[in-house]
Amino acid sequence: MTIAIPLRPSGDNALMVQAMSLVPEAIHLPLWQRLRGWLMAGLFMAVFLVACRELDLSLAVLSDGAGKLGQFLAAMWPPSDGGQPLRLLYVVFQTLAMAVIGTSMATVLAVPVGMLAARNLVSNRIIHFAIRRFLDLFRGVPVLVWALIMVAAFGLGPVPGILAIILTDIPRLGKLFAEAMENVDERQMASLRVTGAGGLAVLRFGTLPQMLPVWLSQCLYFLEQNFRAAAIVGVVGGGGIGFELQERIRIFAFDEVAFITLLYIVAVGVLDVASDALRARLT
Amino acid sequence: MMPQDGSSAVSLADIEVEHRRRLRRGRMVTAVQFLAVSLVLAGSVQLSGAADNTIDGGWGERVASFIDRLLPHLRAEALFADRATSGSLASWFHDLPRWLEAMRVTIAMAFVGTVVGGLIAFVLAFFAASNLNTNTALRQLVRRGFDAARTIPDAILALIFASAFSIGAVAGVLTLIVATTGSLGKLFSEALENAQMQEVDAVRATGGNWLQEMRFGIVPQMLPQLLSYWLLRMEINLSVAAALGVVGAGGIGVELQRAISFTEFDTYLAILLLIVGCIFVLDTISERLRHHLIGGAAH
Repeated sequence: MTIAIPLRPSGDNALMVQAMSLVPEAIHLPLWQRLRGWLMAGLFMAVFLVACRELDLSLAVLSDGAGKLGQFLAAMWPPSDGGQPLRLLYVVFQTLAMAVIGTSMATVLAVPVGMLAARNLVSNRIIHFAIRRFLDLFRGVPVLVWALIMVAAFGLGPVPGILAIILTDIPRLGKLFAEAMENVDERQMASLRVTGAGGLAVLRFGTLPQMLPVWLSQCLYFLEQNFRAAAIVGVVGGGGIGFELQERIRIFAFDEVAFITLLYIVAVGVLDVASDALRARLT
Repeated sequence: MMPQDGSSAVSLADIEVEHRRRLRRGRMVTAVQFLAVSLVLAGSVQLSGAADNTIDGGWGERVASFIDRLLPHLRAEALFADRATSGSLASWFHDLPRWLEAMRVTIAMAFVGTVVGGLIAFVLAFFAASNLNTNTALRQLVRRGFDAARTIPDAILALIFASAFSIGAVAGVLTLIVATTGSLGKLFSEALENAQMQEVDAVRATGGNWLQEMRFGIVPQMLPQLLSYWLLRMEINLSVAAALGVVGAGGIGVELQRAISFTEFDTYLAILLLIVGCIFVLDTISERLRHHLIGGAAH
């Protein structure tokens, strides 16, 4: 049996009438609230349309490109290894190696940066504030932007790619480490100081044991991220899988593009699972 | 280990032995871990070919000359002079009007990409949440789709779209839509899985169909959280959009590419600072909005 729900409170529905008298706004929104809702929606639509105009986003452009995109997608099947599966596998591992080096160097370099930005280690508020703002500003710079200038300055190949990964990660990791250091339990350090331990010993036996799990699990998380970054830096000449992909996109070898992309997706999946397992053991 | 007769005469020596044994084992474990990490690192250096990369003139000189070209040669006495005077701020930011124009395109790209991608993710997330969609095959299909959209590097997507739709902002918007659908789809569906199901039951009890259950049972309770994720993604997409221009997706990235093709590193730094500044301002606004949203949800 279904019950018809009247849209408006009418005389024959006592419950609705009661509800209407108790909480009128639950049955009928006040006019100004409904108007405000419509106004906001209209404003949003207007901004959206202006933005679309700014981008020359028209149906003609979209349908024109969609045809070409369909051709590309059709050319992707069946995926082909281009007769060099071992080489492609090697490039995947090379990309991973770039991520490993970039992550390890960035995590090491970010430690002093994080210490400088930690409030409980650097008590000078001006220095603390300045470093924090600096990190905040450069945290948003994507790896591709660093990669472009590193390739221009230091030539093609994996080294500028790794440098770009390091430059991207230092502000991000520095902020995380600074926060981790600020959350360190002071009592452990205090009890060490009571035993007469010096500054370095306090850092080694009081701060480090508390920091290490956080630090390692962040390393692993950034390794996952950097495997993706390492694939991106290649597009502007930073080596690794991105370089192979952009070469093949430029010559429209989409069957090989599909193969490499699938290979890469599998590799990312494997790395994510492995690092999740490692992280679960750490914490 | 403890002596059976209850005397404490031997226990101190025993403790000492046990302590040494543990210390040794601990050191062994550390040594093995250290060795493993060194092996991975050495292997990585070998694999990446980073060691083969030699630079003429040595790294120190190269880095020094790079930094020299990167930093603008500002002169204190001419800092506020006009564009033609070398050493002034205006000559460093010499193409500011055009960069601002390009920045506007980038912001529009990020906005349209986040709106459209967010809407697609919003619709698909209902099919990827295990509590709302009991069809396992369809759910897995949508989830794997999200995974693929997140994993394919955005720069690669941009290259493909740029060769299909010609170089320009359209390629960037399409890339952002795909990437946003992947990342927000995952976040949205995970958020939906934590929704209070009593409200869905209540709508169902009044005779509502699936669509009404979602509209009146799920959307009202989840909307603030989803919107806050959406705004966060807008912040991320702004920096992604700025970068994608480098591979032909329009906006401020094109100006970065132009500066590099003239090897004007100081111009590059100027544009980078402009991007970073814009992102910072817009992030601050969006952060306010997000706190407002989450605060609103708490009431």
